[in-house]
Amino acid sequence: MRPFGIRLGMFWALFVASVLMFVRNRAAVFFSLFLPLIIMLIFGVLNFEGATTIQLGIVDEARNAASADLIDGLAAFDYIEPTSGSRDAELADLEDGDLDFVLVIPDGFNRQPGVESKLVAYASTADPAQAQVGQGLLQQAVGTALFATAGGGNPPGGAFAPPVTFELVKSRDLGYIDFLVPGIVGMTVMQLGLFGVAFGFVHLKRTGALRRLFATPTSPAYFLGAQVASRLIICAVQVAILLGIGIWFGLQMFGDYASLAVIVLLAAIIFLAVGFSIAGWAKNEDQAAPVANLISLPMMFLSGVFFPRDAMPDFLASITQFMPLTYVNEALRAVVNDGAGLASLGPELLGMGVWAIITFVLAVRLFKWE
Amino acid sequence: MTQDAAATSSRRAPTGAPIVVVRDLRKRYGSLQAVDGVSFEIAEGEVFGILGPNGAGKTTTLEMIEGMRPIDSGSAIVDGIDVQEDPRGVKARIGIQLQASSFFDELHLVELLELFGHLYDRQVDAAALLADVELTEKARAQVRTLSGGQKQRFSIASALVNEPRVLFLDEPTTGLDPQARHHLWGLVRQIRERGHTVVLTTHYMEEAEELCDRVAIMDRGVIVALDTPQRLVDALLGRGFTKVRVERLANLEDVFLDLTGHDLREEG
Repeated sequence: MRPFGIRLGMFWALFVASVLMFVRNRAAVFFSLFLPLIIMLIFGVLNFEGATTIQLGIVDEARNAASADLIDGLAAFDYIEPTSGSRDAELADLEDGDLDFVLVIPDGFNRQPGVESKLVAYASTADPAQAQVGQGLLQQAVGTALFATAGGGNPPGGAFAPPVTFELVKSRDLGYIDFLVPGIVGMTVMQLGLFGVAFGFVHLKRTGALRRLFATPTSPAYFLGAQVASRLIICAVQVAILLGIGIWFGLQMFGDYASLAVIVLLAAIIFLAVGFSIAGWAKNEDQAAPVANLISLPMMFLSGVFFPRDAMPDFLASITQFMPLTYVNEALRAVVNDGAGLASLGPELLGMGVWAIITFVLAVRLFKWE
Repeated sequence: MTQDAAATSSRRAPTGAPIVVVRDLRKRYGSLQAVDGVSFEIAEGEVFGILGPNGAGKTTTLEMIEGMRPIDSGSAIVDGIDVQEDPRGVKARIGIQLQASSFFDELHLVELLELFGHLYDRQVDAAALLADVELTEKARAQVRTLSGGQKQRFSIASALVNEPRVLFLDEPTTGLDPQARHHLWGLVRQIRERGHTVVLTTHYMEEAEELCDRVAIMDRGVIVALDTPQRLVDALLGRGFTKVRVERLANLEDVFLDLTGHDLREEG
């Protein structure tokens, strides 16, 4: 069959050969599939979340002595981690899953008995079971804090109305697994492009296997096309496996898979182009290795794969925000964690698009068959 | 030598129409004129040898004819096709064994032959090809596990997948032990008996005498002599040449083969 003059048999044979060569290469499979899996399992099992504390946002609209006393009283509990800010900011954090509760101390709050019942707390709906326990703990903490600051007006254990009324706010409870999996997906696509192409290709070039291939009437376009197609298929399988295992570990997918696929495809194009740039330029594996590592290692640690980039010093964050993997990770997290569609990912898609053009031009310029 | 000598006597004279026509080929690498005006014709069905010391320009000449290397000037026409106009058309009609041939490590022999078949847009009978080069037991082995002689034989099998009009062999026996070399000679004769034209380079004179209908001797990028081996020897004797030592009835290689046998010594 030759639709549009393309010899499908030739392409298919090269594609199958390319997939077989990858799947049978133990080092390639290990580094591009098992290593990310192992990393994910290790970090997933370690679980960096402190499950026993209440992340409490406090909105102090009273700003008087009574509210200050209450805040001090709450801060004294070691199971409460208070933050404070404006109502909008704290509620936004609650919706994003960064907080468990937001307690609003209304204007005119004082410690007169009965007044305290005007306290309103917004509770996250993300984890109902945990919210139930948290509500009890928070009621107790507020009651105790009020009792202490009210100078013993109400006896402890006495029948008093619960001081806080709760309102539920629809929100997401994001765990570390939700942060980690999109990062690992981004990293895996990068590793596949960089290492899955560069090393195999340089090996074929150095040993002369590529030259033998071009002693036949096939054209380089078929070979390159088969390489790219096989890597894209392998990439899709890897992402599916990582997401599947992630979901099994409790990952929540809020976005749609079509948007995710578009981002993964763009990422694959960028990193395959980088891989082919290295493969085209390097004469042997010893030349390719340091360059591939020099490109991948900084991104692995500075593009927010394992840890949020918020924790970085500002100057580092402002530089690393332009790394290709940063754009990829942020877009993946926006889709997976926030349910964002492509329409709301303008800056990230622009960043990836620019990188795709840069790396593609680089690949075309640097690529040499011999 | 008896069995080889018998085969030698059955050689055909180069009577067929030319299937390869080379005119004034030139190639320069920097300051080195690697090939400096080479012309010859090869008749269909002929085994044509290009001899010469290392660096004489044999491989460069071969690769220009094959369409594997750009031609500076001159022309090469294979089976009626100008290689500069249609290198892929030439490659589709010929089989190439490269000097340092390597294959994809992760595929076994049958998979490789089938892949190569697809590159010529044809189905291949991998089992028959492997039987031809006596590698049937190695069908599921990877190339890197083969011995030197087995590798060369597989390389020839891979060059035969398209039933080529001309088979190019670049130093096919370099690095092989005497048994493997004699075995490969037998294979080349079989290929010739089936009507393929064979062009080979070598720097073993004995190999050229055993296999070639005609030889071109190259040195420093030019052909210094071109004729049948017998006539080249006759011409030399005609110029009054005599060997210092009396011709021995056997040489050290005969001793070696007598003591170690003609059987192939290949691991696995």
